[in-house]
Amino acid sequence: MLKINNLTATVNDGAQTILNGLSLHIPAGEVHAIMGPNGAGKSTLSYVLTGKDGYDVTDGSVEYLGQDLLAMQPEERATAGMFLSFQYPLEIPGVPTMTFLRTALNAQRKSRGDKPMSAPDFLKKAREIASDLKIKPDMLKRPLNVGFSGGEKKRMEIFQMMMLEPKMIIMDETDSGLDVDALRIVADGVNALRGPERAMLIITHYQRLLDYIVPDRVHVLADGKIVASGDADFAKKLEAEGYDAYAA
Amino acid sequence: MQPNSTPALTEAETILGGALPHRRMEAWKWTDVRASLRQKQGLTNICTPEISVPEGIIVSRETIPAESTVMGAFAARFVTDCIVISTPENYKSDQPIRISGLGNGHARILIKLAKGAELSVVETHESDTASFINLDMQFDISEGAKLTRTIFHADHTDTTRIASSRINVQTDGEITQHMLSFGAGLSRFETRLTAQGKNVKVDIHGAYLLDEKRHVDMTSHIDLIDENAQIRQSVKGVITDKARGVFQGKFHVHRRAQFTDAEMRHDALMLSDTCEVRAKPELEIYADDVACAHGNTVGALDESALFYMRQRGIPASQARALLTQAFVAQAFESMADNTEFMTRISNWLEQRL
Repeated sequence: MLKINNLTATVNDGAQTILNGLSLHIPAGEVHAIMGPNGAGKSTLSYVLTGKDGYDVTDGSVEYLGQDLLAMQPEERATAGMFLSFQYPLEIPGVPTMTFLRTALNAQRKSRGDKPMSAPDFLKKAREIASDLKIKPDMLKRPLNVGFSGGEKKRMEIFQMMMLEPKMIIMDETDSGLDVDALRIVADGVNALRGPERAMLIITHYQRLLDYIVPDRVHVLADGKIVASGDADFAKKLEAEGYDAYAA
Repeated sequence: MQPNSTPALTEAETILGGALPHRRMEAWKWTDVRASLRQKQGLTNICTPEISVPEGIIVSRETIPAESTVMGAFAARFVTDCIVISTPENYKSDQPIRISGLGNGHARILIKLAKGAELSVVETHESDTASFINLDMQFDISEGAKLTRTIFHADHTDTTRIASSRINVQTDGEITQHMLSFGAGLSRFETRLTAQGKNVKVDIHGAYLLDEKRHVDMTSHIDLIDENAQIRQSVKGVITDKARGVFQGKFHVHRRAQFTDAEMRHDALMLSDTCEVRAKPELEIYADDVACAHGNTVGALDESALFYMRQRGIPASQARALLTQAFVAQAFESMADNTEFMTRISNWLEQRL
């Protein structure tokens, strides 16, 4: 589903290389985790894949569902099913959560040539998912993420993910800011989305999240590239031994 | 030319018969009528406003002394009979007074709310061709009366419009004013409000959205004379191309105006590198037990928020429009029904972003 080959990306007009020949292949139906020390390039990878400004790709390629991902605008990537759960979700003042999400959902449907989802269908779906994630209905009326706690924002990311039903899910430090109960609720939501047509890339510092969302593969990202890979048990070994063995 | 000599009148000034406000006058430094007024036709026209009033409202014409302002004097020179609209005491109606046809010439309108009256006034200030409009309005709000004023403004790009309002409010009087402006070649909406009695409540909000070379100036001067006034003012600006927005706001809290609670805000969103915003918030306070605040910001749209919205599949132009609309909407939160304003704003944004 996602084939990253020798990806190299810089910031500050080439002054700093963050990704340095990164290669990674995530087939449909699999969940991959990326772990690594601070500053390894984990968040940069999520931003380059979703098309944020400020990163220059100087080498390599990314193929997503047979398309050249790097040639697509951020909204085109989203419409093609790519979703990023942000490490720090943005506050959108003045735009109620439901308005925001309905605009996003219908913009995606329009780009795909589908009819907009009707208001009753949208509301029904939103209520069901909010209830599963234990999100209070009045939060959905408030401007998106404005005044929400860190944990509420993370839960709202998962809410949006479940509403939009993306194909390729990237989760950047989704566990940070969540207590154990919230983590379980979020993990249940994510696990419900696992399926043969969907792939996930989970970026995390800690192994904790991977107890709840068990990955098929675990990779270590250090100095801008994948330096080691293994199965789910590999994450436990990393947690015990640290990343020192992999850092330059 | 000698430093203090009077400069020769411009062609427009000669036709009008006196000097126009210009940039060397502190209150007009960003709205230079003398330099900008290019029209030679229609400068002495008398405007015939279209006024529709609900039952029970009396409309007459009276001779009223001229306002002491430069533009007020011009209005009185050409319009001797002022239109006077008055309500009986404790008047109430679901229907507003509608004033339109303010597209050309000088006009004078006085609106009097008697004791306990509640009145809505909806004004439309529009012109389809290059015009000159000088409108002088006065509102007298008696004890316990409530005025709701809604102003919509959209002029031709070469129109010059000066609209001044003097508003006098007595004890327990209230005014709620909302204005939406899409600008003109040169335009100024000036509100001079005096809260003469106690417990006066003022909400005076507005937004301007300007493109091309449009100019709007929202100037207000609020005098608080007596105790316990509550003032809320919030103005939002969206400017692009080579447009220019001007905000001047002043609260003058007199010695007797204890327990005044006043807030003034002006925030502008600049969407191009060539647009211009000028802002001058002022507080002058002589009473010692008051709460007065003012805030002023100028900035661009939040790029991180834009990326977040695009990551969810919202096209860049739509994301910009949604963020901008949410920003402007804050000025109209306190309106009973802001649907018409919000529709006009979203149409404007759709065509330009």
